[in-house]
Amino acid sequence: MRGWLALLTVASGLSQGAEISGLLQVNLLAADNLDSYQQYGTSILREDHSGIHLQQALVRVEQDLVSGFSVDLVANLHGDGEQHVGLSQMQLIYKPLMPSQTKFKGRAGFFYPDMSLENPELGWLSPYQYTQSAINSWLGEELRIPGVEFSLYSPGRQRHSPWSWEVNMGAFRGNDPLGTLLSWRGFALHDRQTLHQDRIAFAPYPSVVDPGRTNHPDWVEPFHEIDGRTGYYAGVHLDYYQHSNLRYYYYDNNADPLAANDQRLYAWHTRFHSLALSHRFGNDTRIIGQWLKGDTEMGTRWVFVNFDAWYLLLSHKWTEHRFSLRLDSFKAREDDKWAWDPNNSDGRALTLTWRYDLSPHWQVGLEHHVNRNTAANRPTLGQTAKQNQQQSLAVVQYRW
Amino acid sequence: MILRYAILISALFSLSLQAARLDVSLKTSDDSVLPGTVVYLTSAQPLPPVAEGATAEMDQVNKQFKPHILVVQKGTQIRFPNSDSIQHHVYSFSPAKTFELKLYKDHHPAPLPFDKAGQVELGCNVHDWMLGYIMVVDTPYFTQLNKQGQASLDVPAGDYTLHIRHPRIQDDAASLDQAVTIKGNQQVQLRLKQPLLPGADDFEDQDEFSGYE
Repeated sequence: MRGWLALLTVASGLSQGAEISGLLQVNLLAADNLDSYQQYGTSILREDHSGIHLQQALVRVEQDLVSGFSVDLVANLHGDGEQHVGLSQMQLIYKPLMPSQTKFKGRAGFFYPDMSLENPELGWLSPYQYTQSAINSWLGEELRIPGVEFSLYSPGRQRHSPWSWEVNMGAFRGNDPLGTLLSWRGFALHDRQTLHQDRIAFAPYPSVVDPGRTNHPDWVEPFHEIDGRTGYYAGVHLDYYQHSNLRYYYYDNNADPLAANDQRLYAWHTRFHSLALSHRFGNDTRIIGQWLKGDTEMGTRWVFVNFDAWYLLLSHKWTEHRFSLRLDSFKAREDDKWAWDPNNSDGRALTLTWRYDLSPHWQVGLEHHVNRNTAANRPTLGQTAKQNQQQSLAVVQYRW
Repeated sequence: MILRYAILISALFSLSLQAARLDVSLKTSDDSVLPGTVVYLTSAQPLPPVAEGATAEMDQVNKQFKPHILVVQKGTQIRFPNSDSIQHHVYSFSPAKTFELKLYKDHHPAPLPFDKAGQVELGCNVHDWMLGYIMVVDTPYFTQLNKQGQASLDVPAGDYTLHIRHPRIQDDAASLDQAVTIKGNQQVQLRLKQPLLPGADDFEDQDEFSGYE
């Protein structure tokens, strides 16, 4: 808490050019009774205790520097997990003024590639729902770019064209353990974004933690550099006016799957394609979808998992009410040498959310989430592989 | 100051003091209308200079320039308020006025002088779809076409050159200029030969989550 206050003090003391915004969400939650992965259980939801929780607390600081340069930071306070205060994004952005129709911009730091369309709210949150899709729950917990990104882009309006485009290329170090959670826990559904030096817990599966087996901790710190190799990604955005958006990305962390650090965290060679689409019907209705397909490898195919997930989200705004419904589907399928380490998991989820703006600052909302998921390694802990889970949320939000 | 009065007096004597009216209507090549088109009159005779302290406003509202096209007489000071609760970074590379202006929340920068006639294309470096225009004209006699594609100018009777300008018009600008002698009530009807550039006005059709940055 002291660190949080210090951050607020620094933020409020910045000179002109600083834009400071923030968001606070407190929930009343009726939890599923399966222990959460955060409590070393096998539930794929964030909470396992009913009651009042801090859903989100974050501050974003955007500070202009010299011409074309700016800094953008997002600091979060979590009531759960291993680390409670820290940065989820920090980037130095260079976006010079250019007269040409094709322009250049770049950024460096610790940031998300812009591959998703579900989370345009402050701090990479979803303005539609509280529990994010399985895809973006995973990106929020295990993926970040500790690196640089270069972009060419062309706003259509300046060319008298309805089409705008952007091409991004990024390179990074770190993020080598990406894939650990998908392989051993599987996809999850939540909105907790991992902080810069955070740790994510999962159940102590015997095949993972036993000294005679993988001998890996029952947690992961996903942003470590382990093998000294550079990962990369490339993405294309295509927008038709501001009605329709398409984003395709290819990501490869280029990790050496034989490398491990002294914490016994492995570098997982993880590659995937992401295709995201958004289309707005009139002013009030929007459909958003995303498809993610890839694989991850540890060792010489000791663990090798193909993963595949998609969601479809329909959101409608009626006066100050917003109703959103999302269907998720996700699966991980192993094709590897260690038969004693089962990695198959899959599930489907339905999330229905109502959010109501009381004022520009205050919002209330309700959400009900149900999922049916299977994890082949649950029986190794004496649990049933198939679980039906549900969670209800009432949330009060203050935004400034 | 004396020189300014001398110019004003000579201008008044050189033009008839009798008020006259020019009605202009414009059709596009496909017989539709182009509201907002700038219509102005210049003259070989000196025209009244801009009023001292004349100001105009180009606002930022819902991540758009408002108005989309602003017409001012040369020498006008233009303020750039920000009615949004987010930052804008307005810029122009146009020869008539090259500038950049960062518009923060609750910050009110001083107005900028626009001292050179011509079209100034505005962009925002934060919101790449934002596009606006300032037309700086060297005359006090200007207006814009209404939704019916019509406009009227009340001016002293005399000899003028009529100019029609809009960023979407592809016709050669000089081909649209025409000499007019205005006395009493004069009417001019024009029709463009070239099709318009796409308007892309649909860029202004957005919801609260458009332009995810």
